[in-house]
Amino acid sequence: MLAIKIWNYFKGYVIIRIEGLQLERLLNLALSQDIYLWDVRRLNYYQVEICVSPKGLGDLIELVNKAGCKYEILQEKGLPFFFERIKHRKMFVTGFVLFFLIVFLLSSFVWKIEINGLEQTPLEKVFEYLNDNGIVSGTPKISISEDEVELLLMNKYNYFSFIEVKKKGVKLVIDIKEESIPPEKIDRDYPANIVAGKKGVVEKIIARNGDALVKVGEIVREAQVLISGAMLTNESEIYLVHAEGDVLARTRYESEVIETIVKMTEKETGNVFEQKGLKINNRGIRFIKDIPFVNYKEYIKEEKLFDLDIIDIPINIITYEYREVEIEKIRQNIDSLKNSNQLKAIEEINLQIKEGAEIVARDIKHEINGNNLITNVIIETIEEIGKKVIIEN
Amino acid sequence: MKKNMDNIKANLSEALELPIDITLDLPRITIIGNIEVSVSNHKGIIEYDNEIIRINSKAGIIKVIGDELEIKNILSEEILIIGNIEQVEILS
Repeated sequence: MLAIKIWNYFKGYVIIRIEGLQLERLLNLALSQDIYLWDVRRLNYYQVEICVSPKGLGDLIELVNKAGCKYEILQEKGLPFFFERIKHRKMFVTGFVLFFLIVFLLSSFVWKIEINGLEQTPLEKVFEYLNDNGIVSGTPKISISEDEVELLLMNKYNYFSFIEVKKKGVKLVIDIKEESIPPEKIDRDYPANIVAGKKGVVEKIIARNGDALVKVGEIVREAQVLISGAMLTNESEIYLVHAEGDVLARTRYESEVIETIVKMTEKETGNVFEQKGLKINNRGIRFIKDIPFVNYKEYIKEEKLFDLDIIDIPINIITYEYREVEIEKIRQNIDSLKNSNQLKAIEEINLQIKEGAEIVARDIKHEINGNNLITNVIIETIEEIGKKVIIEN
Repeated sequence: MKKNMDNIKANLSEALELPIDITLDLPRITIIGNIEVSVSNHKGIIEYDNEIIRINSKAGIIKVIGDELEIKNILSEEILIIGNIEQVEILS
């Protein structure tokens, strides 16, 4: 029903009121002339309202005149009549088209550049750099390539570990993750705080510039401000400085290695069992037979049935190969396992420890839990944990 | 003679399982609840009113009684009537 209504709307139709006697005769005449009529409403004895297509209207009017009735066109509905009406309202149409054109045009420019995640690099510097390279708000979206912007930033700032550039509507969003850079490399023209790069207990704090906010012996969380660049004047006004100083803290590294004591190894016995299957267009048919092994490894090989160069016939033969394996249990020497675990754990920690850190304590624990040997290594160091973060206005 | 012919046609269509309305040129009247009546293979409208619609057909006059009756569709093959249908009579 809806489909018919939509069809009628596209074709257009006319609602017509016919006045006269013997309206049934008129309807029958219309039927015999193959005029399609719908929504025929009898208003009263001498009036009827009919929907008719524009094509049938001419024929119907002819019949109406022939039958000696009167007619009145009440409404013209549908798309063709809509266009007809719109023809006389040129400015309206122009405005309508212009509106969409302007919306489309405006939305094809980048109007705002958003940079998230900067800590050690001044935002203005990055903006300046982007501006110099032609990425300004007001640039057509099409002329900005995400990959190029990423490369551009990557080339200039080699300590950016992650850059993602996305176009979101009329915004260009740049997400950045930075690696810690040596404090002396940070631009001193911008106010900065010194924050904790990791958790620890403060052993020594020297603030050369800025206010030290923590005391020796205090436990600090990651990202807690240690030396603040926001200082108060005597008139209790805030002014911002580039904080400088050293913060040494006792930090802890932990690593856990779990190794099984009794190891299972698989050894092939040499017994092989094969099965074939067919694969047509990624749908597989497999001829199932029971696999006569308890423990086995499965290898799947695919081959084309017809290896033609000209056309690719997507029928493949699959060979399933099952190789019997024997499972052997090997019990490992606990002492040597402890040693190797310890080495692994320490190696893992060494990757995390920064250069210049002083190791002050080392604690190694072994624990046997069922079939597992758990080795826990804790290393305590005293190291510089301060990290400069630029204060955003 | 005509009756004989009709008998033969009826028997034949029964034997061959052909639709009897087509072989005998009879109207097919479909009633959906009390809201819709469709008559295919009709022979024109005799009377059209909000309460009564009479349609000519080979089987006789089909009289649809109800209220707020309206012809939804009208084609040379089929008429679709909607409204509150109370009675459908065939006067042959």
